[in-house]
Amino acid sequence: MSAKGDMFYAWTTDAGIKGECGGAVTAILKNLLASGTVDMVLTVKKGVDVYDPVPAFITDPAELDKCAGSLHCGTLLLPKLIKKYLGGAKEIKVAVTCKGCDAKAMYELAKRNQINMDNVVMIGLNCGGSIPPMQARRMIKEKYGVNPDSVFKEEIDKGQFIIEYTDENGAHQTKGIKIDELEEEGLGRRKNCQRCETKIPRQCDLACGNWGVFGEKAGKATFVEVCSEKGAAVFDAAVNAGVIQTAAPEAKGLEIRAKIEKTMVNMGKKGQEKQFAELGEGQERLEKIMRATSKCIKCYSCIEACPICYCVECSTKKPHLVRPGIVPPDFMFQMIRFAHIADSCVNCGQCTELCPMDIPNSLFMHAQQVELEKMFGHKPGYDMELPVLAFAEEMDERARLNATGSDMIYENVFGQEE
Amino acid sequence: MEIKFVTTTCPYCGSGCSFNLVVKDGKIIDTQPCQRGPVNEGKLCPKGVFGFEFINSPDRLTTPLVRKNGELVPASWDEALAVIAENFAKYQPDEFAVISSARCCNEDNYAMQKFARIVLKTPNIDHCARLCHAPTVAGLAKVFGSGASTNSFDDLAIADLVFIIGSNNFEAHPLAARRIMQAKEKGAHIIVCDPRRTPTAKQAELHIQHRPGTDIQLLNCLMKNIIENDWIDHDFVENRTLGYEDLKACVTQDKYSIENTAKVCGVPEESIKQALEWLHECQHKTAFVHCLGITQHTVGVDNVRSIAFVQTLLGNIGKPGCGVNALRGQNNVQGSCDMGALPNVYAGYFSVMNPDLAKKVADYWGVESIPQGKLGLHIPEMLDTLYEHPDQVKCMYLMGENPVISDPNSKMVEQAMENCEFLVVQDIFETETSRYADVVLPGSCYAEEDGTQTNAERRVQRFRKAQDAPGESKLDWEIMKMIAEKMGYGQYFQWETSEDVFNEMRGITPQYAGITYAKLEGDGIQWPCPTEDHPGTAILHINEFAGMPEGKAALEAVEHREPAEVVDEEYPIWLTTGATIWHWPSGSMTRRCEQLDKDAPTAWLEINVKDAEKYGVKDGETVVLYSRRGEVEVAARVIPDIKEGVFFMPFHFTEARANLVTNTAYDPVSRTPEFKVCAVNIRKKEA
Repeated sequence: MSAKGDMFYAWTTDAGIKGECGGAVTAILKNLLASGTVDMVLTVKKGVDVYDPVPAFITDPAELDKCAGSLHCGTLLLPKLIKKYLGGAKEIKVAVTCKGCDAKAMYELAKRNQINMDNVVMIGLNCGGSIPPMQARRMIKEKYGVNPDSVFKEEIDKGQFIIEYTDENGAHQTKGIKIDELEEEGLGRRKNCQRCETKIPRQCDLACGNWGVFGEKAGKATFVEVCSEKGAAVFDAAVNAGVIQTAAPEAKGLEIRAKIEKTMVNMGKKGQEKQFAELGEGQERLEKIMRATSKCIKCYSCIEACPICYCVECSTKKPHLVRPGIVPPDFMFQMIRFAHIADSCVNCGQCTELCPMDIPNSLFMHAQQVELEKMFGHKPGYDMELPVLAFAEEMDERARLNATGSDMIYENVFGQEE
Repeated sequence: MEIKFVTTTCPYCGSGCSFNLVVKDGKIIDTQPCQRGPVNEGKLCPKGVFGFEFINSPDRLTTPLVRKNGELVPASWDEALAVIAENFAKYQPDEFAVISSARCCNEDNYAMQKFARIVLKTPNIDHCARLCHAPTVAGLAKVFGSGASTNSFDDLAIADLVFIIGSNNFEAHPLAARRIMQAKEKGAHIIVCDPRRTPTAKQAELHIQHRPGTDIQLLNCLMKNIIENDWIDHDFVENRTLGYEDLKACVTQDKYSIENTAKVCGVPEESIKQALEWLHECQHKTAFVHCLGITQHTVGVDNVRSIAFVQTLLGNIGKPGCGVNALRGQNNVQGSCDMGALPNVYAGYFSVMNPDLAKKVADYWGVESIPQGKLGLHIPEMLDTLYEHPDQVKCMYLMGENPVISDPNSKMVEQAMENCEFLVVQDIFETETSRYADVVLPGSCYAEEDGTQTNAERRVQRFRKAQDAPGESKLDWEIMKMIAEKMGYGQYFQWETSEDVFNEMRGITPQYAGITYAKLEGDGIQWPCPTEDHPGTAILHINEFAGMPEGKAALEAVEHREPAEVVDEEYPIWLTTGATIWHWPSGSMTRRCEQLDKDAPTAWLEINVKDAEKYGVKDGETVVLYSRRGEVEVAARVIPDIKEGVFFMPFHFTEARANLVTNTAYDPVSRTPEFKVCAVNIRKKEA
């Protein structure tokens, strides 16, 4: 029997699973589905190549074999898909793989009654950051001098982004370049990943990865940290079903894992310092933001993807606040987003990632979030504590409620309260 | 519950963005980004985000409609096909007019031109490229031997100077605009020439707000000064061009001086000087970008050629970060041209005037002969003939086109449709044009078919089927196959899948010969791709201008000419028309999408603040806009962003049709109407 806080080396007993390091995650997901504990697994699978992770909504356990292995170009955010397409997991039980940003997004959506966490099993994945697919291809072609189509594996290890590929003569080659060097040149991980401090997502039920797998199990086992009672039950069920085997982690492994995490978190802190400094302060910062957002073409992608946005009627779409049809939109468009989101921004980076004009929205939002955190002490995405601006009393909302006879300010996954 | 993501490409502009359609239990419910998309890397414009909503609109056509006792009523496919076969059999080849669609995939367009040429035996096939970039195709073909964009979107990002003329790409091609903004971020100069201070112009370092219809004046002036300052690329001009002296004699005339040009174009001399300085400074790293602001003129072809001349003189062709980059309007306007849905060429730009090529195509199709030796009618001629000589063109088959909204002088078009003896409209909705049809056939949209389309940088990419078409709707090429079978031509249309159509097509289309569906996975392929082991071609004309005499570019004297209609006392204001970011030409798709409709529910007329003062018009006030052809009521949008003496009106809206006032005058070579200039006036609406 395991308990919250326990740590293991775990590996699959299923020969069909070609996991990256032990395949425990795939085995646990498969067991959740096969045992009927969940109805669906939401994860990513490989699309046309290693650069193309595509969200997969899986109900057949056999399908999961295809999802094994990690994709460092996985810049997707899954929780909003649960809200949008799975009814917020109101009725369906779903297991989800979560990077740090996914985990934080899940918590924020759950706080807002957009996701029913009772029906969600979160399988956390350690994440050192991810690289957008086309940027990775460009970087490999130009910086590594390697044909991106010849790459079959990529990983981030010991401060390097390492690719394995087949050269013109058919030989297996490996090439790594220091992440610091890449990022100095504007390559490498997303800017928000460079600011990220959530490397081992302990908000999840289990936190899994290869950091700290040391000794004879190196490369052959997954490091699993049990982070909740639900996680313990999920882990024990997999052990009892015989789909994974476990061993106690090596003391040296624990040390290494802690060291990696600390280094990564420090990199994130340094990233914040550097990027926020470049943004300047006060009026200078505001002017920078206004200049950058003047390229906005009002595609609403930032809103569509944001895990904090959930209003039935978005204020940016109200004609008295933002004039319809005008491109670029009035600055009020951006102000509304800052006011509504900055307190709870989890730095998932989607608003930058998806911006057709490459506006660093996520940097702007994150920079404000850290200031608000200093003032109010609210740390979004780490627990279920309500955000600073939890109580919304907007005249428009009141009017709408009166008109509809509803007492719901926002739609919520639990339906109308009795 | 089954949910899947189906990666496909966007059906709107010629950028060719990828996205995922979210399919829940067999029905499309949303779009999600596809970060692996080679053009857009997951990023989308508003049409990409919301533009899917029309797909499952409740008013989609679901069965054929046949006119009975004056009413269009639902009918079975058997009945509809029988009516069509019976009527199509009545007419002579020259009495047909066939309009294909740049909205449809390559497979549909290939099938349509084959249908026209084999079954109806008519040379009269055209499509809406006529209304947008036909001058680009004709103009660039005349200068370089190929009508396609010379470079790729990636080149825009690495240019040191992006010279934009007649393109509001922030709204019309946002994901191409992104590449230009990437260049700006790296320190490149951006010039925008446009009578409107568009969102694109607002991002430019230099905005040259020239009067509509003065592009050649401006471009000749640039060439005069490039030559006189001795900034031309002598090697390039000497070794790779013909006709330089002829061009030089023309552009160096005094009338193209900076002083006179500033007057003609209505711009400060300093702007022209600044542009010249940058053209010199950024030689061999300058990309020109143009769109319909260049093409939709009676001098559209010459506008395009003049751009090509500037770039040729500077040696900015066949190099990275350079070129003449035409932002093709519709998603597949490049492909529809490539497929030969044109009255002058078969697939692969084989001329109908070349008997050897006609024989080659006929042999490939296994028929005795195909229409050749004479140009077919183009769209304006089809409509003119239907209007003026309905005894000469009697039967029209059109797919995915809505001329009543899209073509100039709507009143005339309506009468032309009325005059058409037998009209078949194949579409996904009933449209303003299908009202005049005898038979309406329900086709499929991009999300319901496998297929390919070709973007503005010649990148061939896949459409992938995400759901079944509603009701009894069929794939568009399937419909042509059914009609052909009914008429006894089934042996020529023995395709089972879209891939079958594609494979037949690439067998006769040299640019596509090496492209297979399998090869299109991932990044797609930029044509020309002559063999299956060829990776495709990002930049054209690197070593020679294939297809030109001596392999050299053709320079020529081109004079500035005034638009067909100029302002006078009665009509003192220039009107220019165009698209907004929110809608797609005739609005039949985008106006059914909730958020797009909310952001732009109807038309407006942009009026400069000073003009508004003169007319006593307030912002939001409804005015009557009128020209020699008609009038339309529209709300004024009073702004400083439009040039004084110029109005702008978007053309998407059936209740306020800009094309009621536009001019049908067209370019003599490409036959593209002059949507961008006509003379108008306004009056206050009577209470």
